[in-house]
Amino acid sequence: MVKAKRKPLEELKAVTQPYQRILNVGCGGCVSVCLAGGQKEVLVLNNELNLAFKNENQPNRVDAYTVERQCNARHLRELERIVKDHDCMLSMACGAGAQLLAETFPDTPVLPAVNTESIGIDREVGIYEEKCRACGECVLGYTGGVCPVTRCAKGLFNGPCGGVQDGKCEISMDIPCAWYDIHGRLKNQNRLDNIKQLQMVMEWKNQTQRTTIQEAYAQRYASSK
Amino acid sequence: MSEPTATEPVNTGQIKQLLDQHKTKMKMALRVCAHCSLCAQSCFLFNTREQDPIYMPSHKFINSIGRLYKKKGNVDRQALEEISEIAWKRCVLCTRCYCPLGIDIPEMITLARTICRSQNVVNDFSAE
Repeated sequence: MVKAKRKPLEELKAVTQPYQRILNVGCGGCVSVCLAGGQKEVLVLNNELNLAFKNENQPNRVDAYTVERQCNARHLRELERIVKDHDCMLSMACGAGAQLLAETFPDTPVLPAVNTESIGIDREVGIYEEKCRACGECVLGYTGGVCPVTRCAKGLFNGPCGGVQDGKCEISMDIPCAWYDIHGRLKNQNRLDNIKQLQMVMEWKNQTQRTTIQEAYAQRYASSK
Repeated sequence: MSEPTATEPVNTGQIKQLLDQHKTKMKMALRVCAHCSLCAQSCFLFNTREQDPIYMPSHKFINSIGRLYKKKGNVDRQALEEISEIAWKRCVLCTRCYCPLGIDIPEMITLARTICRSQNVVNDFSAE
């Protein structure tokens, strides 16, 4: 899932300072799971912001509302009756959700309250580890389920490089070498020949904006391509 | 519009207001559901939970928003906790459920969640 982290309070206070009626919109999706922008986090941020304003003898001005998913327009409809009473919105959703919110309500400034950090896994409650850069050309099948794009500092497809030492990366002895792990995993599975297979050059599709259409829906959306 | 904390009593007036805003759709959905159970086949949770009927989309919306509607919003926190259990733990809102009669089941579940949220009854993602 998408992982995010809340922006510092000072930054959020500064960007909301010019506005008098602020609506902080949470998201019940990924950011709830990673404890960055769900209903609880919305209430915590609002308390902090309102307290910060109160300390400067300014009135409470931040309201709260959490939708199920900011990345789906159907869940934004319920905001229509509330948004008109506010002159700006904070979005605690990922970048995708914040953008759809801004697109849905183009007359109201939308300010992100979290930084979207990665597609990752839950290591423990509150600890998340990046695992995927959404490159669009997954090679995990050949690399023993270890992603060289995410884990190798150089993003190498023909590693390891000369910097590997005792299975660690040259940038830090705390970072395991992705290609050392790939080799180990494939060796265990008796699939070392996978490394020798030539792969097509990566197109780095994540450098351009993509639209995903599932095969079963290709005909339906053919005209909108 | 500020949200209440978990220690506050349930604001049944607010729940009723939210129910009233969606009364037409809700009433229609509850009335036209023929209990045909065709929606069940489109729910991956139903299929992966040994086809346990409590995962049938119709069962989920009838026992969440349907319960709120029937009680006209006069529910206590315990009831909301039970409804939230259905709305969050038994449905991921993938929106893939299909109703041959056109009931928008995800919308009904969303409404149940919205009402739970309005009373600060939400799924605890920080639970160990």
